[in-house]
Amino acid sequence: MIKKIYKSILAIIIGHITVLKHAFKKRVTLEYPEVKPLLNDKFRGEHLFDINKCKACGMCQKVCPANAITIIKDENGLNEYSIDYKKCIFCGNCYYYCNFNAIMPSSNFELACSSKESLVITFKKAEEA
Amino acid sequence: MNYLLSIFIDFFANFGIPKEVVYIIFPIIPFCIVAAALILVVLVLVLVERKILALFTQRKGPNRVGFCGILQTVADAVKLLCKENIEPNVTDRILFSLAPIIAFVPVMVCWGIIPFSSEFDFISISVSSLLFAVIAVIPVIGVILAGYSSNNKYSLIGSVRSAVQVISYELPIMFVILSVSILASSLNIKDIILSQTSMYQVCGWYIFPCFLGFVILFVSSLAELNRCPFDLPEAESELVAGYNTEYSGMRFALFFLGEYAMLFVSSAFITALFFGGFLSPFGFYISEKIFNNNVLAQIGIYFEQAFWFFIKSFLIVFLIMWVRAVLPRLKSSDLLKFSWRILLPLSILNFIYICLFKYIVMIGGLK
Ligand code: SF4
Ligand code: SF4
Repeated sequence: MIKKIYKSILAIIIGHITVLKHAFKKRVTLEYPEVKPLLNDKFRGEHLFDINKCKACGMCQKVCPANAITIIKDENGLNEYSIDYKKCIFCGNCYYYCNFNAIMPSSNFELACSSKESLVITFKKAEEA
Repeated sequence: MNYLLSIFIDFFANFGIPKEVVYIIFPIIPFCIVAAALILVVLVLVLVERKILALFTQRKGPNRVGFCGILQTVADAVKLLCKENIEPNVTDRILFSLAPIIAFVPVMVCWGIIPFSSEFDFISISVSSLLFAVIAVIPVIGVILAGYSSNNKYSLIGSVRSAVQVISYELPIMFVILSVSILASSLNIKDIILSQTSMYQVCGWYIFPCFLGFVILFVSSLAELNRCPFDLPEAESELVAGYNTEYSGMRFALFFLGEYAMLFVSSAFITALFFGGFLSPFGFYISEKIFNNNVLAQIGIYFEQAFWFFIKSFLIVFLIMWVRAVLPRLKSSDLLKFSWRILLPLSILNFIYICLFKYIVMIGGLK
């Protein structure tokens, strides 16, 4: 009984000292807008889309679990490609399955904006004059 | 207090205001001082708590509002006061509004009982330490009413836990107060503080003969204040927010204010019983040396006493917050076991030991 009490008191004291040590360590807080966090290489942020590489095969549209991608085709191939960030869950399927590396991830995660419309990003084929 | 009263009467006599009127309006001053000090201290305490917890967990804590975040709690308070006062549909209206008031008012009375310097004891009666211990448990009635009237199972469970906690931790507190009052031969807090003056300065404090009592009082105060590791009434992971789940706006602010004011005033009580209250740790007052015993020194001493009192109380508050950063929450049954099986026998043992100590060492009974 006494041994048990002694042990628990010792444990409490050691715990307090351990916590006190943390007070003198370096802070881990990042003050976000001024200091950006370091991201992993595989971070999935905003998509980088290269319209010249895209063959409009429709694979990304098929694998997207959130139905965020719309492809509009005409007789020349791709006409319009749009990603809806209201729906996108950043699962990464679209660039994993793209055979032509037309769509790639980027580390930009600051996508907040003030209107619904600007969350739908549309790429259009440049008109060949 | 009488000294202040005479100054006050003289001051009003200059304007031709009779004594009787002054007697009636005089109690308003302590009330205002207590209210202002309470709100200031609570604002500081909340910020200090957040900063200290951040310190112990390697974070920075609030640092945006004002310089280093010192205005954060002011901003929070303003937000809380501007909020809507939501009242659930099926509640007991009267009790629901009454509960925060009952939980808050006794805390202010407790503030009045604590003598922050040798002149400023607003409620001065010969059994003030007992009065403190009795009034300090009244907020629990407010908590029970809050749990009962808000028609919410979480609130009810929280308030019942709070009641159980107070019932089981009140006895050890009483035994410790008794043993300290035996050491001081008085139940008045001011007398207890003054009896700790000795020629060995710090060594006269009752923490030295009665260290066990200090530990018991500290642990029991944690339980009475619903602080970690005894914060069962507000256990977020089980009970949403405990007894104040249904409260918002001003009423919630009152609960919050009462809780933190009680935290400080309990530390002040511990300071008064064990750490010499307003006595200077050096054995002399600095203002005495600076002003060479003229009139300024006499006023300065009161402020210095209050200063020492606040410093010591804040150290106890720091200790309480340190404990919060370390220990996890206890199980409800363990809490009761700890009180009845360990704390209560220990406090009785401590009481007997203090009686013997007083008889043998301080009175010299065996010679
Ligand atoms: S990341 Fe996932 S959800 Fe977003 S567009 Fe690509 S496949 Fe769809
Ligand atoms: S899978 Fe690649 S190539 Fe095919 S449509 Fe999508 S982005 Fe274009």
